[in-house]
Amino acid sequence: MKFIPDKEILLFKSCLVNVEYPGVESSTCYVFDKIGVEYHVDERQSCCTGLGHYYDLFDQLSTITLAARNFNVAADTGHKNIATMCATCYAILKKSAKILNQNEEAREEVNGILDDSGLEDMEYSSGDMDPARNIFHVAEILFNKREEISKHIKVDLTGFKVASHHACHYCKVHYKDTIEGIRDPNLIDELASACGVETIGWYDHKRVTCGAGFRQRYTNKEASLAVTGEKLQALKDKDVDILLHMCPNCQMQFDRYQPLIGEKLGTEFNIFHLNIAQFIALAMGADPYKIVGIQTHTVPVEPLLNKLKQPFNLKEDQSKRNSLKINENRD
Amino acid sequence: MRTIKLNKNSHKLVDDVLKNLKASPDLGIYKCVQCGMCTSICPGASQSDYDPRDMVRRVLEDDVSIVDDENIWNCFSCYTCNSVCPSGNNASEVNQILRQMSIDKGEGILKIQSFAAYGDSFIELGVGSVPSKFFDDMVKDVGPEYMNLKLDIEDIRSELGLGSYILPEKSIDEIEEILDKSGFKARLKRIKGSKK
Repeated sequence: MKFIPDKEILLFKSCLVNVEYPGVESSTCYVFDKIGVEYHVDERQSCCTGLGHYYDLFDQLSTITLAARNFNVAADTGHKNIATMCATCYAILKKSAKILNQNEEAREEVNGILDDSGLEDMEYSSGDMDPARNIFHVAEILFNKREEISKHIKVDLTGFKVASHHACHYCKVHYKDTIEGIRDPNLIDELASACGVETIGWYDHKRVTCGAGFRQRYTNKEASLAVTGEKLQALKDKDVDILLHMCPNCQMQFDRYQPLIGEKLGTEFNIFHLNIAQFIALAMGADPYKIVGIQTHTVPVEPLLNKLKQPFNLKEDQSKRNSLKINENRD
Repeated sequence: MRTIKLNKNSHKLVDDVLKNLKASPDLGIYKCVQCGMCTSICPGASQSDYDPRDMVRRVLEDDVSIVDDENIWNCFSCYTCNSVCPSGNNASEVNQILRQMSIDKGEGILKIQSFAAYGDSFIELGVGSVPSKFFDDMVKDVGPEYMNLKLDIEDIRSELGLGSYILPEKSIDEIEEILDKSGFKARLKRIKGSKK
């Protein structure tokens, strides 16, 4: 079992969590506080460049220089271990640390850029960041404390068919560091189990991409949504109620586009989408709107919560609320 | 398919790929046995004529026309090929390097021009954002409530106890300075200015 820390952690902000599913961040903080993980969020930390990087807009040198700056921000407050909420941040930061440690010429170039920018104190030395021992996905930090998670479960979420979607950029990029399976990934399934919920385990398409494909979602939408649709169909074939995620980009692809894909395919999927930290927070009894952040979801989560024995103080369906607001705006 | 072989014994293209900053030190392109595992599980291959096995073969045979092949833009960057390769090759990484070569040559710029506004927002705020054209598409596809979400996001974040995601001015200045000295600003200007 690899070393996984529970303190001195920089919780690395994600551009898509920020503006799409901020409830992933508040849920992560809520769960970290409950299970005793010591962490810090830093306003100086920049975006990893992820979407721009895989759209091929960013060059590798700019990406690793920004990573060197973020590594410095992490170390500066004594939170040298990074935990990401997004799988692409995870992959990009690991690759950046590898290049900075192993490629002397690139490292010197990066330090030259930092010097020219008046940031001499941010210079990177080989080994400052160990990609295997300092960079993690939040799901790994949670997995390491799963026994602690089990002690705080208050809401019974059994009775639903739950499946997992393991993000490609966690499982398949730096796969030597991946825990709980690469070709048959089970990290999320194990975390659900810590909440008392057994998932359906393996299903056809379990390890297939969400279909976002970076540029594909925007410039090749038919192909992108076809891949997502196939996976949704595989989940429907198993009567899945809830799909658990570990990456905001995957969650967007499924949650935002599920109604449109259903319309195209002439089927209703009725699958709820939650990040694993949101799921654990819910199981711990967190408020759906003040912590879990279900008000930013496209597929309303209220019908799921209505089925629980535990009463939640629910607003009307988000979809209804939103349509009301649109009418108000029109007036 | 028409191929151009400048020199049958040359390994220039594969050497250029391996020398690229993006190439991992253990990138096993020479170890490729052309088994086709990569293509068999590739979402790009299932939806288009993109064929990672053939792409790697052409790189190994120094067939430089692969750089101009439209199909390289159909990779999903999901790295599934990487995770199943029995030889330690990484077709996804090779693909990203070929795309950069296409951008350097000029043709590839047309493929990325549509995302240039992401770079502008990164320089302005330290956080990239999806260009407005693609955002409008999303509002159309997801529904008008998606627009409301964007209008309300600051309030929702406060409700969740989260602070602003915009970086302090000093940090934004640092990032702008870095992106100037790293050559990204010049790259972005070239991308936006290209009418090729």
